[in-house]
Amino acid sequence: MTVASPAIFLALAACAAFALRKRVNAVAWLSLSAIVIAFTAVSVTPVDTVARLLDVDLRVSALGRLAGLIILATVAMLIVDVLLDEPAYNFFPTALMVGAVALAVLVVGSPIVIFALLVVGLLVPVGTFTFQVHRNRSVEAAVRHFSFVVLGGSLGLGALAVAASLPKDQPATTVVLLVVLLFVSFALMLAAIPFHTHAALLAGEAPASALALYFGVLVPVTFIAFAEILAGSGLLPAIVQVSKVQDLLLAIGLTSAFGGALLAAGANDLRRLVVYAVISNLGSALVGIATLSGPGIIGGIATALVTGACATQQLLAAGTLERRAAGDRPNVTHAPLAAGVFIAGGIAMIGAPPLVTFPGHFFVDLIAYAVSGVAGSALVASAFLLLIAQLRAGVQLFAGSPEGWRIEPRPVAGILGAVIFLALLAGGITPDVFLRPIAEFADEFLKALRPL
Amino acid sequence: MIYLGLIALVTLAANSATRLRVIAVAFVGIAAVASVIAATAATGPQVAVSAVAGLAAAGILFVAARDNTYGEDPGWRLWLGTFTAAIVTPLAYASFRTVAGEPATLPLFQDGSGVVVEVAGTWLLSSGVAIMLTARSAVRMSLAALVLVTGVQLLARLAPEPRLATTLALAWLEVVAALAGAFLIVNERAVRDA
Repeated sequence: MTVASPAIFLALAACAAFALRKRVNAVAWLSLSAIVIAFTAVSVTPVDTVARLLDVDLRVSALGRLAGLIILATVAMLIVDVLLDEPAYNFFPTALMVGAVALAVLVVGSPIVIFALLVVGLLVPVGTFTFQVHRNRSVEAAVRHFSFVVLGGSLGLGALAVAASLPKDQPATTVVLLVVLLFVSFALMLAAIPFHTHAALLAGEAPASALALYFGVLVPVTFIAFAEILAGSGLLPAIVQVSKVQDLLLAIGLTSAFGGALLAAGANDLRRLVVYAVISNLGSALVGIATLSGPGIIGGIATALVTGACATQQLLAAGTLERRAAGDRPNVTHAPLAAGVFIAGGIAMIGAPPLVTFPGHFFVDLIAYAVSGVAGSALVASAFLLLIAQLRAGVQLFAGSPEGWRIEPRPVAGILGAVIFLALLAGGITPDVFLRPIAEFADEFLKALRPL
Repeated sequence: MIYLGLIALVTLAANSATRLRVIAVAFVGIAAVASVIAATAATGPQVAVSAVAGLAAAGILFVAARDNTYGEDPGWRLWLGTFTAAIVTPLAYASFRTVAGEPATLPLFQDGSGVVVEVAGTWLLSSGVAIMLTARSAVRMSLAALVLVTGVQLLARLAPEPRLATTLALAWLEVVAALAGAFLIVNERAVRDA
C-alpha cells in the first residue's frame, strides 16, 4: 500500500476539495497540504519498492519517483498561483485529481491500466478549460479536447488490448497496423502535428492556469506513459524488426518538431507561442524515442519532463501579463517580473546551457544526426526557429523605454517563475541527479527491445 | 450471431436518436448487450462492474439533457457511421482473427473462442469513431465516447492479466467520460440559449 498511498491520498483529497470547492481559501490550503504530504510520501518511498493492488503490480521506479516529485512540485506552484493571483474554485479538485492520476500512472505496471488511467487524467481538466462561456470559445475548445482525447485513448486502448490477446509471431502487417494505431493515439493525445488543432484552440481560449496544468503536467506524464507502455506492451521487439514502424515514429516526431517551431515563429500571442514550443519540443522527444537508442530515450524523456516545467513558467507569466494588460498588447510595463521570467522560460525552452534543459536537447540532436543527416538538420532548424520565436516575443514585450518599469504588486507568477528557473539552473549544474533515473529507465526500455 | 445482430441494432438505435434522453436510454441497451456478450469471457462480478458503469453513464447523460427535447439530429451521419462500422468490422476481423491460424466459426449463442467478443468490440469501436468524427455537438460526441469505451471494454476482455484492475479502470473511464460529456453538453446549451 506504501506505493499506492500517495495517489490514493490525493484522490481522496480531490473528493474532499470538490465538496468544499466554493470555500476558495480553505480548499486551496487543503489542496496545498495534500500535495505536500504526497510529495513527502513519494520522496521517502525507496526506489524499487513493489506492491500488488487488486491484481495489478505496482513499482516505484527511479524515473517514476523523479517525475512524480517534479509533477507534484509543479501542481503545488499552480495551486499557489491560482490561490493568490486568479482564484478559480474548480481548479483545486481538478489539480489534485490530476496529481493522483499522474502518480498512479507512474507506479502501475500494466500497459492497459496505465493507458486507461491516463485517459481519465486527460479528461479531468475539461472542467477547468471552460470559463466565461458567453464571451469566448472555451466550450468549443473543451469539446474538441474531449473528442481528441477520447478518440486517441480508445484507439490506443483497443490496439493494446488486441495486441495483448493475439498469439505470438504475428505477421508484420498486423504488428504495423497495431503500432500505427498506438502511435496515432498518442499523437492525438500529445497534440502532435497534424493533430494539434485542439491544442491551438485551447491556447487561445482556456485560462492560463488550466493550460499550465495540461501542458506542464499532463503532457509530460502522457509522454512518459507512452515510453512505459511501449516498453511493457511486448510490441518493441516487433517494432525493431519492422523498419517502417520506426520511420513512422521518426516522421511524426520530425513533423511535430519542425511544424511546431514554424507555428511558434508565427504565433501572434504569448500563450500560442508557448503551446507551439511545447509541441515542437515533444516532437524532438518523439524523435529521441524513435531512435530506439539509449541517448535518444534519455534525451527524449529529459526533454519532455523539463519542457513541462518551462511551459508552466511561461504560461503563468503570460497569464499575468495578459491580465495586467487588460486587453492591450502585453508589455513589460504591465508586469516587469513576469516579463523577465517569460524570457527566462524561453531560454530554458530552447535548451540553452547551463540549464538542465540542455542535455536532453543535445542528446536527441546528436543521436538524430547519427540516424540521419536530414533528421538532425531538421531538429537544429527547429531549435533556431524556436530561438527566433522567443526573441521576437521578447522584443515585443520589452519594446519602449524602461522608465515605467515598476515591480508589479503581488508578483506571484514572477516569483514562481524565478523558483522554476533556479531549479532548472541547479539541475543544469548537477545533471547527474536528473539524468541517472532516466538512464535507469532507458536500460529497462532497451532490455524490453531485445529480450533474451 | 444473435448477439452480434443485437449489438448492431442497439447501436443503430442510439445512433439514429435525435433526442439526448432517447440516446441515453438506447445506450443502456448497448451496455446491456455488451454485458451479455462479455459474460462468456469474464467473471460475473467483472461483468456487473462494467454494466453498472454503463448504467451510471447513461443516467448521467439522461440527467444532463434536462428536458425531453434537447438533442442533435444525425441526418445522413447515421448512415456514414453504420456503413463505416459495417466495412471496418469484417476487415479488422480478417486482419486479427485469421492470424491465429485457427478455423473461426460464429456460434449462434455460446462463444467459447471469443470471436463474438472481438467482433462486437470492433463494431462498437468503428461505430464510435464514425460517430465522433461526424458529430457536430457535445451530444453525439458523448454518445461516441461511451460507445468507444464500451468497445474497448469488450476487447480488453480477451487480454490476459490484470482482469480486475482493467475492468475497474475502464469502468471509471466510462463514468468520467460521461461526466465530462455531460458538463460540456450543459455548457454548450448555455451558450446556445444565450
